[in-house]
Amino acid sequence: MVKLAYFARKIAGLLVTVFLVLTFNFYLFRILPGNPFTLLFRGAGLSAEAMRGLNAQFGLDKPLWLQYLIYLRNTASGSLGISYQTRAPVLGLVIPSVINTLILLSVASAISMVAGILIGVFAAWRRGTKIDVSASAITLVLYSMPTFWLGLVLMFAGVIYFRLPVSGMSTITGAAGGIFAQLIDLMRHMILPLLTLVLGLTGQYVLVMKGALLDVFTEDYMITARAKGISNRKLLWDHGLRNAVLPMMTLVALNVGLSIGGAVQTETVFSWPGMGLLIYRAILARDYPVLQGAFLIVTIAVIFANFVADMLYPLLDPRVT
Amino acid sequence: MTLLVLVLTPTTAQLTSVHAQGTTFTVGWGAAVMDTLNPTALTLYDGGAYNIIHAIYDTLVRSDTSGSPIPDLATSWTYKDPTTVDFQLVQNATWHDGQPFTSDDVVFTVNLFLTHKEFPLMRTYVQTIKSVQAIDKYTVEIQTTKPDATFMDYRLFGMVILPRHIWEAVPNYTSYTNDNPVGTGPFKFVKWGGQNTYVLYDANANYFYGKPHIDHLVLRYFTSYNALALAIQSGEIDYAGPLFTPALVPTLTSASGVQVITRPDPRYYYFCFNQYAQGSGNPLLRDKAVRIALSHAIDNEELAKVVWAGFAVPQNTVIPVVLGHWVNPNTPKYDFDLKKAAQMLDDAGYKPGSDGIRVSSKGVRMTLKIEVPSNYAEEYRAAQVIAGWWKQIGIDATPMITDVGTLADEAVAWKHDTFIWVWSAGATLDPDWFLSMFPSSESQPAPNPGLSDSGFNNATYDALYQQQITTTDPAKREATVWQMQDILHQEAVYVALYDPLAVQAIRSDRFTGLPGGTLPPLNQFATNNLLLSVMPISAPVETTTATTTTGAPSGMSTETLTVIVVVVIAIIVIAAVAMTRRKPQPKGQ
Repeated sequence: MVKLAYFARKIAGLLVTVFLVLTFNFYLFRILPGNPFTLLFRGAGLSAEAMRGLNAQFGLDKPLWLQYLIYLRNTASGSLGISYQTRAPVLGLVIPSVINTLILLSVASAISMVAGILIGVFAAWRRGTKIDVSASAITLVLYSMPTFWLGLVLMFAGVIYFRLPVSGMSTITGAAGGIFAQLIDLMRHMILPLLTLVLGLTGQYVLVMKGALLDVFTEDYMITARAKGISNRKLLWDHGLRNAVLPMMTLVALNVGLSIGGAVQTETVFSWPGMGLLIYRAILARDYPVLQGAFLIVTIAVIFANFVADMLYPLLDPRVT
Repeated sequence: MTLLVLVLTPTTAQLTSVHAQGTTFTVGWGAAVMDTLNPTALTLYDGGAYNIIHAIYDTLVRSDTSGSPIPDLATSWTYKDPTTVDFQLVQNATWHDGQPFTSDDVVFTVNLFLTHKEFPLMRTYVQTIKSVQAIDKYTVEIQTTKPDATFMDYRLFGMVILPRHIWEAVPNYTSYTNDNPVGTGPFKFVKWGGQNTYVLYDANANYFYGKPHIDHLVLRYFTSYNALALAIQSGEIDYAGPLFTPALVPTLTSASGVQVITRPDPRYYYFCFNQYAQGSGNPLLRDKAVRIALSHAIDNEELAKVVWAGFAVPQNTVIPVVLGHWVNPNTPKYDFDLKKAAQMLDDAGYKPGSDGIRVSSKGVRMTLKIEVPSNYAEEYRAAQVIAGWWKQIGIDATPMITDVGTLADEAVAWKHDTFIWVWSAGATLDPDWFLSMFPSSESQPAPNPGLSDSGFNNATYDALYQQQITTTDPAKREATVWQMQDILHQEAVYVALYDPLAVQAIRSDRFTGLPGGTLPPLNQFATNNLLLSVMPISAPVETTTATTTTGAPSGMSTETLTVIVVVVIAIIVIAAVAMTRRKPQPKGQ
C-alpha cells in the first residue's frame, strides 16, 4: 500500500515536471528572434504574399496564448505536428534521429564510463604518483578541448592516414555483402565520432570517480578492513568502490538522459544524422514543431533516467529509502 | 581480433566510387539544407532540396550555360502575341512509372499552382500566368496577365511539371511528403536517408534526350566544408560544392586528382543604408549627402582583395557582374577618397564635435552600427575594415555580428543603421530579382513587410521597374535596366561591394565533361547542364579488382595499423591487470 502511494506520488511529480518543461520550451522557442518564414523571405522567389500564406497555414499569425492551447491539445492527443521544413510528421523525424544518436552515444557512454571508472580508480589508488598526475592531467586536457576542434583533428588524421570514411553513417551505395558487412561498414563510420566523444566524455567520470573513492578511503571502516588483513584487491573493489559508486550513479543517470539530446558538435562535424544535428538544423530554420518535439523527447528521457536511478539507489545502498 | 582487422581495412568499395553495376557519380553539397522531396513545399531556390527535385522532375524549358532558355519538356515555342505562348511538347517522354507524358500533365500542374497560393516557390513561378489550356495531346497554350520579360528565362526554369495521375489523388498538399517522387527527368529516385543525409538515384534509361553517361547519382549532404574538402581529397566523393571559402582552396589544389573550378556566382554582397523616414535607424542616413560621402569612404576593390583573397570580383552596381550585358558599364563610381568624403561631410554641415565625432546642426551624433549576419565571417572582416576607414573621417562606427534571424527582423522593420548582406538569384541570369527590392511597394511597414531593407522610395524608379518587367524586347529592356542602375547610384541607396566566386571541385582523374570545360554561371544541378554531360574517364570496373585511388596520400598500411592497435590494447590490458596485482600501500589516507 505504502509502495503504491509512493509510486503514484512520484509519477504525478514527473508529469508535472514534463508539463512545466513543455510550457517553458514553447515560449522559449518563440522568444527567439526571427520567424521561420521571414528568414526565407530574402531568398529569391518567396513573395510577401507567400510568406503571409505560410504564416497563416501554420497558425503563426494567431495570438501566442491561442497557439499554446492548440499545441497542448495536439500534444495531449499524441500529435507532435509537422515540420515546417519537410512537412513530415515530427515523430517520424525524431524517432530515427533518436535511434541514430543512441547507437553512437550508448557505445560512447559505455566506453567512457568503463574507462573513466578504471582510470579514476587507478588514479585514486596511486594518488600523488607520476602516473596519477599524468593520467588525470591528460584526461582533463582532453575533456576541456573544444569538441568541434578535436573532431576535425581526428577526422583529418583518420581520413588521411587510416582511410576512414569522412562522414555519415553508412556507405550510400551499400556495402557489398550481407548483415555482417553492413555492420562492419557502420563500425567504420562510427570510429571517428566515437573516439571524439570518448576522449571528451572520459574526463568527467575520472574526476568524479577519483574524488568519490578518495573520500571513501578516509572512512574508518577502511582502516578496520585493512587491520583485519583483507587483501588490497578486495579492499579496493569490495569495500572502496562499492561505496564510491553512488555519486557515479547520479552522473551516469544524468548523462544517459542527456545523451538522447545528441552531441551537437560531434554530429555536425561528422554529419551523423542524429538528434544533435536535427536540433541544430531546426534552430537555424526556427522549425518550432521539430524543436518542441525533440525537446519533449529529451525531457522525457532525462526524467525517466533519473526516475530509474532513483529506484535503483535503494538497491545499491540499503540506507537509502 | 579479426573484427578489428576487418573494420580497419578499407574495402574496395570505399577506395573507388564504383558501384557493382556501372559508374556512380557522388556529389557532396555543403551546408545546403535538403529538407523535402515535395516541390510544392520548396521554399529555398538554391537549397539542396531544389537540386534533388530538379534531377527528378523537368520543366518546360531549362537554362543553357549562358542563361537563355533551351528545350526541356517543350521542344519549341511561339509567341502568338505578347501575352500568349504556344508550346510544342516532347512526344516520347514517359514518367518514371511508365505512364506517358502529355499536355494534361502541364495543364494540371499549372492549375494546381494557380489555385494554391500557399506553395511558396511554385506560386512565384506562376504569378503572371492567367490561364493554360491544352490545344492537343502535345501542345499547350499559356496566357499571361501582361507581357512578362522574366517568363521564359526565370519563371519557367523553376516550374517543375508534376504527373497528374499521381498528384490529383493527393488529399492534403501541405502534409504530403512525396516519399516516392515520380518525374520525367534524367534521374530516377531510388531512396533517400531522410532529411539532410543523402539521395540515391538511378539514371533514367528512357530519358527522352538520351540516357545520362553515368549510371547512378548520389547527392550527399555535408554540414561542414572542412569535411567536404577532406572527402574529395580522399576520393570518397567525386564532386564538391557549391561555395568553398578561400581558406580551403589550398587544401583542394594540393590534392592530386582534384581540379578546382571557379566562376562568379549570380549574387553580390552589398552595404545597405537605412534611409527609411519612419524607421528607427540613425536619421542622418536619410540625408543623401551623407550617404554619398560615406560611399566615397568604402573601397570595394580593396575589400575584395583583403576579405576574399581575390576570390571575389568588385562590383559597381546592383547587378552582379556575371549577368553580363545587363550591367550598366557607364554608371559612375564613387571613388575611394577619404579626404573628399570628409570635405563633403563638412560642407553638408556635419562638423566634428569635441571628441572628433561629427554632429549634425541639431545635435545628432554620427554614430553608426555596421551589422553583419552571423554566418558571414568574411563580411565581418570587411565591416571592421570599413569601420576603420570611417573612424578616420569622424564617424563612430561599430561593426557587430548579429544573429541572422534577428537581423532579418530588424531589416523588415528598418531598425538598423547599416549592414552588409547578400542578394542571390540562383538558377537564373535575369536581372529582375536584383531590381525588385527597390520599388516603393516593397517598403511597407510590418505586418505587410516587403523586400526593401533600404526604405528607398522613388516614383521614377517605380515606373521604370514596371516598364522593364513587361518589356520583352531585350534592347529596350536593357536601356531601362541601365537607367535604373543610374538612379540607384545617384540616390546612393546601396554600396555594391563584390560578386564572390563560387569555388567547386571535381575529381578530374575519374570524371570529365564539364560543360564547356568550365563551370557555367548557374546552379548546374538545377539546369541539368552538369548531370547530362559528365562522364567517367575509364570504363566501369568490377568490385573484384582492387583499384586503388591514384591520388591517395601516403599513409600507413593496414598491417602496421593492425599491429599498432593490438599493441595499444595489450598495453591497456596488462596495465589493468598489473594494477590489481601489486601490493603497495594505499596513499589515500
